[in-house]
Amino acid sequence: MLAEQLRQDQIANDLSNSSTSGYKAERTTQQSFGKLLLTNSVTGASVGSQSTGVQVTNTVTDWTPQAIKDTGEPLDMAINGDGFFAVQTDDGVRYTRNGEFQSDEQGNLVTAMGDPVLGRNNQPVKIGADGKVDPRNLNVVLLNNPEKVGDNYITGTPGAVAGQTAGTARAGALEGSGANANQAMVDMIESMRAYEAGQKVIHTIDETLGKAASSVGSLSS
Amino acid sequence: MLEGLRTASAGMLAQQQKMDAVANDLANANTNGYKRQRVGFSDLLYERGGRPTTSDDAQLGTGARIVHNGRYFEQGNLQNTGDPMNVGIEGEGFLKVKLSDGRQALTRDGDLHIDGQGRIVTSFGGFVEPKITIPNNVQPSQISIGQDGTVTAAGKNVGKLTLVNVRSPQNLESVGDNAFVTTASSGNAVAAPAATNIKQGALESSNTDISVAMTDMIEAQRTYQLTSKAIQTADQMMEIANGVKR
Repeated sequence: MLAEQLRQDQIANDLSNSSTSGYKAERTTQQSFGKLLLTNSVTGASVGSQSTGVQVTNTVTDWTPQAIKDTGEPLDMAINGDGFFAVQTDDGVRYTRNGEFQSDEQGNLVTAMGDPVLGRNNQPVKIGADGKVDPRNLNVVLLNNPEKVGDNYITGTPGAVAGQTAGTARAGALEGSGANANQAMVDMIESMRAYEAGQKVIHTIDETLGKAASSVGSLSS
Repeated sequence: MLEGLRTASAGMLAQQQKMDAVANDLANANTNGYKRQRVGFSDLLYERGGRPTTSDDAQLGTGARIVHNGRYFEQGNLQNTGDPMNVGIEGEGFLKVKLSDGRQALTRDGDLHIDGQGRIVTSFGGFVEPKITIPNNVQPSQISIGQDGTVTAAGKNVGKLTLVNVRSPQNLESVGDNAFVTTASSGNAVAAPAATNIKQGALESSNTDISVAMTDMIEAQRTYQLTSKAIQTADQMMEIANGVKR
């Protein structure tokens, strides 16, 4: 039941971010706890194994690129294909697929958090006199083990990734959110029913124990 | 479980704020020189493991929030009005004006008038900067405003409307009355690019696109609704948990 609660929390996060540009949906994977090997305490013969429950082992992020929608704003950027924009933050280089950029007082391209976006030479990207940025100047990086850290930022190890080629940046467009409302609704119902089933199991065990406590040793049938 | 409730309510709040921004855009769909708001969303911090049934590899998000990215400064349509005191700006830049409280400000609202003392004033009662005075006996039809902003009254040069621009218009602060003031992050006002022209007898209309605003509104409302379902489900699950002890 606890595992289903976590799943539910994660679906709530997906739904909350269903309008967040460049957001990637998540899935939780579950696995049973280590099994106990039961043996007959009198004869020592093996009875079989018994599981002790389920745990959430991992949350998997679906990094598939999502549909790109045109916005017409010159500082909106989207990546067509795989890869991430590199951003220089106070905590080091972070990556993002959310291309809602703006300019700072020095005319650099910055994220909504005010952190400069890095170009191909690993230097902040300057905005041209016409208020536009050539999307080819932006660095699109492939990441190994990407992981979300909030504020639309992602950490990971830059480098080649098997089966991926770095996509191209495009100006005047944004990537949509990867949260799928239909999927989330179905998952939510499924998770709630599994939770309900967990409660029924507790009830049944309770009844069995109740029988054991009150009926064993009773002479009346 | 309670985390799920809070995650979903953060998402709902963000959609509500988006709706407020869209409502403001729609309310200003007929405001001269209005620029629509640019809002986006961002996810919040991620929580790692930390629960009895969770391994440390599992991470859990905590919702979404709204991010204000200033405004879309794309050009609004220029509409011919025929009024010689109306000016529309074609291209990047702003008219330099002085607000009634004495602050210097920028505006794209070119609905100008002449006050009782012959001075050129904006629709919100501020003056163009530097001040321009039209001589007493000149009729409005005798006033001509050139592409560069030079104001000629009955053939005589009386001043020039100043066009300025800033490095980062997204960081200008709106002060109401269609006016913006510069901030540290927007940069100081500098001369507008030479390509920017003034067109006399026209007004720039609002760049709110009603069809975009309507779709944004529907999207925000539906997402709000969907996220509220997550709260409902969390509530039902808590009820189930309550039912464990009969």
